[in-house]
Amino acid sequence: MARKDVAIISVGYNGRFVSKRPDVSIPELIEPAVRDALRKTKLTINDIDAIAMGNMQTFEGVNSPHLWASDYIGGTGKPVIRIATGGTTGMSTFQSAYYHVASGLYDVVMAIAWEKQDEGDSQVGLGGILMPEVFAMFQFGPDLSEGRGLGIGVGSGGGGGSTGSASFQAMSYLARSGGGIEHIDMIAALLRSNAAKNPYAHLQVPGCKPEDIAKTPIISFPLRFGHTCPTSCGAHVLILASKEKAKKYAMTDRVAWVKGVACGTSDATFGNLIDGQITDPAEQVVATMVAKKAYARAGIADPQKEIQMAEVYDGFAHQDLMWPERLLLVGDGKSPEMVAKGAYNIEGDMPINPSGGVLSTNAIGASAMVRVGEAALQVMGLAEGGHQVPRRVRNAVAHGWGGLFQFVTVTVLGEAPVQ
Amino acid sequence: MEKIAETRVIESNWDISTYKFKIEADALNLLIKGFKEKKVLGRKCQSCGTVYVPGPTYCRKCQKEIDTIVEVKDTGTLGTFTVNLADIRGNPLDKPNIVAYAKFDGSDTWLMSRLEGWSDWKTVHSGMRVKIVWKDKTEGALADILHFQII
Repeated sequence: MARKDVAIISVGYNGRFVSKRPDVSIPELIEPAVRDALRKTKLTINDIDAIAMGNMQTFEGVNSPHLWASDYIGGTGKPVIRIATGGTTGMSTFQSAYYHVASGLYDVVMAIAWEKQDEGDSQVGLGGILMPEVFAMFQFGPDLSEGRGLGIGVGSGGGGGSTGSASFQAMSYLARSGGGIEHIDMIAALLRSNAAKNPYAHLQVPGCKPEDIAKTPIISFPLRFGHTCPTSCGAHVLILASKEKAKKYAMTDRVAWVKGVACGTSDATFGNLIDGQITDPAEQVVATMVAKKAYARAGIADPQKEIQMAEVYDGFAHQDLMWPERLLLVGDGKSPEMVAKGAYNIEGDMPINPSGGVLSTNAIGASAMVRVGEAALQVMGLAEGGHQVPRRVRNAVAHGWGGLFQFVTVTVLGEAPVQ
Repeated sequence: MEKIAETRVIESNWDISTYKFKIEADALNLLIKGFKEKKVLGRKCQSCGTVYVPGPTYCRKCQKEIDTIVEVKDTGTLGTFTVNLADIRGNPLDKPNIVAYAKFDGSDTWLMSRLEGWSDWKTVHSGMRVKIVWKDKTEGALADILHFQII
């Protein structure tokens, strides 16, 4: 059975992402984003056939948020599926919605991804990923003085949260590429200032300079506060439709076609201390594998020429240098040079995260889907506030990353379906 | 009409229960058994040649059972590291500590420990050669490795 053409016909937000929303409950945070997405179409909630919803497991301490939000999202009487795959949650949710329509089983499907981090304890949620490992380690006699035997778990990573473990990746990336910390400062400053042009972004620093980033305190060398993402609250909604329904329900013919999706998993390459799976965290073989699969499905032979912009999953600034290489948007080790000459700027040859990226806005469960939504807005030409890429975006790529450095999702969008 | 606050904050405590994790203990048991004799033991997949340290009982790449125990060298190459300039509460440390990952000769995976043998942390870089420094009296525990020493 051939897959059906699917378009993103609407991109909805609940408003600007912020640190805290004590004024609303989880369903109340999500509902305005649902309404915003519907308002930008000719749809009513009754025309939605099915819903996929995602957020991080345990972050809010609410184990089954889809259960409590079902009526607020218009889920009553419809299929609702909940997705939780760590950092890739948002794009897994989007890809689930895509499968619903591409399979021909449903015509109009809504993907909802969100996080409300002020209600819970995100570090406990993240700790939950590693705690079984740490408890297991206790059985094998690590040196617990000053936490030295547990490095990533307690001694290093514990103090810096996920930054502790990302710092190993950053060091390795720099060694592999020959780049310096100044390049991480450059891309961080670029993204903070891009965020200032995105009305929905959380951390907005107009005209941010690399020197400003270099002044922020170190968390775990080489990563500083300026190199890391905030914790955000917010909700994001995408509406996907088959070709026929896209024509009927989209406000205009400016829709973003889903040309190729792919997803891949490696073993827990970093942090898995039990099974001996620690390998180079900057290698990220799976990202390249998944990108190739997505490009093939999208009919893209030369990503460097055929793709005009990317939204990558960058919880940490060095990843804005690493992912473009792994996603084959630039040659291996070329990112430091690219950022230095301005090629990753909104006006550059290969704009990376014009939205400001995860680095500026991280409502974790939503983050990977925001990459798709922002890429869709770029294809539609509807990115607001000055972060629209000036040249015509024929194809855009969105990327998600999560788990113990191990899950990767890639989605290619374009102004026309695959021929 | 006066707006009535509709959302309340409810303080709640998720008292996590006691769980009984089942873990694959074979790899680490083999590792600490070797540590007692100051040896680094892992397993090799005969199909793809990958040497895992610690060594699991099946190969992730081939999805095949592996049972060939191999000893790798206690000298290796620094893969990556991070420098902690402050303790877990954010207080600056008099002497920073470096947590390092190193690939020991003959292994395809990395082990982690503290790194010693440097005077200025800014001179430490990936690719440096390191050696395991063992406790005098090893007892078959992860703590038998005191640290990695730059050589």
